[in-house]
Amino acid sequence: MNVPDRYERFVVPEGAKKVSYERDTKIMNAATFIVEREDHTIGNIIRMQLHRDDNVLFAAYQLPHPLKYRILVRIQTASQSSPMQAYNQAINDLDKELDVLKYELEGAFSRFSRSY
Amino acid sequence: MEGASYQRFPKVKIRELRDDYAKFELHDTDVSMANALRRVMIAEVPTIAIDLVEIEVNSSVLNDEFIAHRLGLIPLTSERAMSMRFSRDCDACDGDGQCEFCSVEFHLRAKCHSDQTLDVSSKDLYSSDHTVVPVDFSDSAAAAGEALDTKGIIIVKLRRGQELRLRAIARKGIGKDHAKWSPAATVTFMYEPSIHINEDLMETLTLEEKTSWVESSPTKVFELDPVTHQVLVVDPEAYTYDDEVIKKAEAMGKAGLVDITAKEDSFIFTVESTGAIKASQLILNAIDILKQKLDAVRLSDDTVEADDQFGELGAHMRGG
Repeated sequence: MNVPDRYERFVVPEGAKKVSYERDTKIMNAATFIVEREDHTIGNIIRMQLHRDDNVLFAAYQLPHPLKYRILVRIQTASQSSPMQAYNQAINDLDKELDVLKYELEGAFSRFSRSY
Repeated sequence: MEGASYQRFPKVKIRELRDDYAKFELHDTDVSMANALRRVMIAEVPTIAIDLVEIEVNSSVLNDEFIAHRLGLIPLTSERAMSMRFSRDCDACDGDGQCEFCSVEFHLRAKCHSDQTLDVSSKDLYSSDHTVVPVDFSDSAAAAGEALDTKGIIIVKLRRGQELRLRAIARKGIGKDHAKWSPAATVTFMYEPSIHINEDLMETLTLEEKTSWVESSPTKVFELDPVTHQVLVVDPEAYTYDDEVIKKAEAMGKAGLVDITAKEDSFIFTVESTGAIKASQLILNAIDILKQKLDAVRLSDDTVEADDQFGELGAHMRGG
C-alpha cells in the first residue's frame, strides 16, 4: 500500500536533470557531478576511467544512500584540464572501449559458431 | 577541449557457447568494466514477462495471487524486447499498457474432466504473438541426451471439476524493477589466476609431503605425477583463492613454495541465461545497454553553458 513505485529507482522524475554540475567554491578545478538514477554500474567505471587520466588529481564516486537513487562523482584536475573535460573524456573513452568490445565479441561469436 | 585518449582495447576469447550458456575470457580491461557488464546483464537487459493477470475462473487449490505470481516467473522468448517499448513510455496506448507496441496478450483455459489430475503448464498459455512464447526447454534437453517428454513449466494441478481460465498481459521490463524480468540465471566472473611452483623448493619435499600438500587444496588444482613424482599444475582455474596451499606450505616450513597471483586485467566469465534470450545475445545486449547508459550521463549543453558563465564570473573574482 504505502510503497514507492518500483520504477522510481530507474526513471528520472519529470523536471529533474539527469546530470547536474556543482563547482567547488574553495578548490580550483574541482567539481561534483550529481547523476540521478545511476548506481555502482556507472559510478565505478567512470571513476576507474578517470584514474587513468594523468590530469586528474582526484576522482571518486559515492552512493550516499541506497534509497536515494543518485550518485556523486567528485573530480579534481590539474590546471591544464577541467573536471568537465575529464568527465567527458572518460565517457568518450568508455564508449569507444565498448565499441571495440562489441566488435571483438561479434567476431568471436561468429568465428566460434562456424568452427563448431 | 580534446585531451589525450586513455582508451583501452579489450580482447575476448570464447571457450564454450550454447544457447543458454557462454564461457569466455575477457582481457585487457579492468574489474570495473567486468563488473559493470555483469551488473547490466543481471539487472538491466530487458525481457518480456507476464505483468498483469485477469482471472475469470479459478477453482484450483491455489489462490489467484499465487497463480499470478507463478505466471510472472515463466520465462518468455524475448528477442523482440530490445526493440519493444516500455509500457510507461508508450504513447500509442496512453499508458494503460495494452497495445501491440508494448504488450503481448496470453490466454489460458483449462478444466479437468477426468479422475486423473491435470497438469496445467506453460504449454497451455496461448500467445497473441508467435515470437513471444513460453521458453521451450525440450530442444536443449534433447541436445543433452535426456529422453524427456517435456511438458513445460507446471503452473497448477487440477482435480476433477476444477477449472482455471485467465487472460494475462506480458510487458517489457528489466531485472531492476522485478527479478522476473532478469534474463540471466547466473553471471559470474573470476580473475584468471597465474600459479608458479618454486621447483627448487619443491624438490626438497619428500614424496609424502608432496602428497599431503597436493591434497591440502580443496579443489583439484595440483597433481602428483605418479612416475616422475613431480607436482604439476593441472587446472589453475579450479583455484578458488582459498589460500589453503599457501597456509599448508607455511605450516610445513616451506613458505614461498608456490606463488599465486590474480591477473588484474584478465577475467573468465560464465553467463547462464534463463532461456529468454540466447547467452551470446545477452552479452551483446548488455554492451548496448551500457552504451546507452553512458550516453545518458553525458553533460547536457545547458550545464556546460551555465558553467561557462560561472567560469567568467569566477575569472573576474580571481582578478582575471
